[in-house]
Amino acid sequence: MTGAIPVLRLGRTLLASIQIDLSDAIAESLQNDILAHIERGRTTGVVVDISGFDTVDTYAARILAETAKMAKLMGCDTILVGMRPEVAATLVRMGYPMEEVTFALNVEEGLALLGHIVPK
Amino acid sequence: MGSQPDLGQLQFDELELARRRAFFQLTDEDLARLAALAPFAIRHTTEIVEAFYELLLGHPETRKFFSDELAVRRVKGLQAEYFLGLFSGRCDLEYVTNRLRVGATHERIGLSPKWYMGAYRRYLQIVRERLFEDFPLAEAQMAYESIQRLVFFDMSIAIDTFILAHVDTIHRHQLAIRELSTPVIRVHERVLLLPLIGTVDSLRASQVMDALLLRVIEEQARVVIIDIAGVPVVDTKVADSLLKTTAAVRMLGAQTIVTGISAPIARTLVQLGVDISTVHTRARLQEGIELALQLDGRAIVEVGPVK
Repeated sequence: MTGAIPVLRLGRTLLASIQIDLSDAIAESLQNDILAHIERGRTTGVVVDISGFDTVDTYAARILAETAKMAKLMGCDTILVGMRPEVAATLVRMGYPMEEVTFALNVEEGLALLGHIVPK
Repeated sequence: MGSQPDLGQLQFDELELARRRAFFQLTDEDLARLAALAPFAIRHTTEIVEAFYELLLGHPETRKFFSDELAVRRVKGLQAEYFLGLFSGRCDLEYVTNRLRVGATHERIGLSPKWYMGAYRRYLQIVRERLFEDFPLAEAQMAYESIQRLVFFDMSIAIDTFILAHVDTIHRHQLAIRELSTPVIRVHERVLLLPLIGTVDSLRASQVMDALLLRVIEEQARVVIIDIAGVPVVDTKVADSLLKTTAAVRMLGAQTIVTGISAPIARTLVQLGVDISTVHTRARLQEGIELALQLDGRAIVEVGPVK
């Protein structure tokens, strides 16, 4: 597991924050890392912070969506947080609104949604 | 109102000048012939200008453009200048720049091309009569032909400028409307309201979406209410843009409620086979606000009479 994106464990939740442009290779390695983490210890939720990228292609978005589906099969809910307005607008215009994924405004709300912290 | 178009806006350069002159068959011989007619023009200027304004002032629709005696005297002076300009023997970019003012002025005062064209016909009629009185038939015919070429050339520039100035005015209005058309209001903590008023075309829908998404992040909003009570026609295109906006808002981590769904709108959407069941919808804004708070785990409660 030598991915460019560190995956942190907070109890039963995994947290990954993508602060670099998401190339296909990096997206795939992130997918591997997350799934490996779920295999190794009890995990019920994954929060992926995507506030770091201002452009996205549908392929990278698809890998993220598939990661969420795979995690679901392994018993984990995945939440993408912090998407930028221009990225959301682009994905919608490209016809890929990532309908299968759950979103939240920021990491805090994502964690709250998973029931791991109490919202303010 | 400084919207006088210039040559650049009209994309009028030496090449365009040459092309247009060729199309109007306006040759250097024509210009030389016109220059030679200068004494004739000077002789008849007053009479021609008077006849021109007799027509304009004789019709109520055109008379209203001339408020008083002073204004009439001023435009008569300008008109004489314009008329003599036809016989300057020149037709270069400077001449065109000069002519540009005519169309721009007409647009500014709201004088539509029909009055301009009609008045110009009267103008040509008198010029023609005087030419045939003053010169032998063949010479008069040649002269009239040259005048006609330059006059039609002038008209094409005036109409071009008129349209350009008009388009420019429309453009400025559109910008003003657009600015007014996406007011995103914070109605409660983490709840935004976008009242859509007027026609929603694809350009506006896209601008509305961009503006709304930015505000969601700025305000860290959880719920967005889009009120469409002020949209006159809700068709598949409007429905599609609502679905797109909802999808984008969802990706930011917020939810969308569409309110202002009247009975006709509900009927239209069902009859068109548009499915917006993935979006929260309510008939009235009030219910939308209640739902918004509910989605965010809050509620408006009655506290009984105030002491």
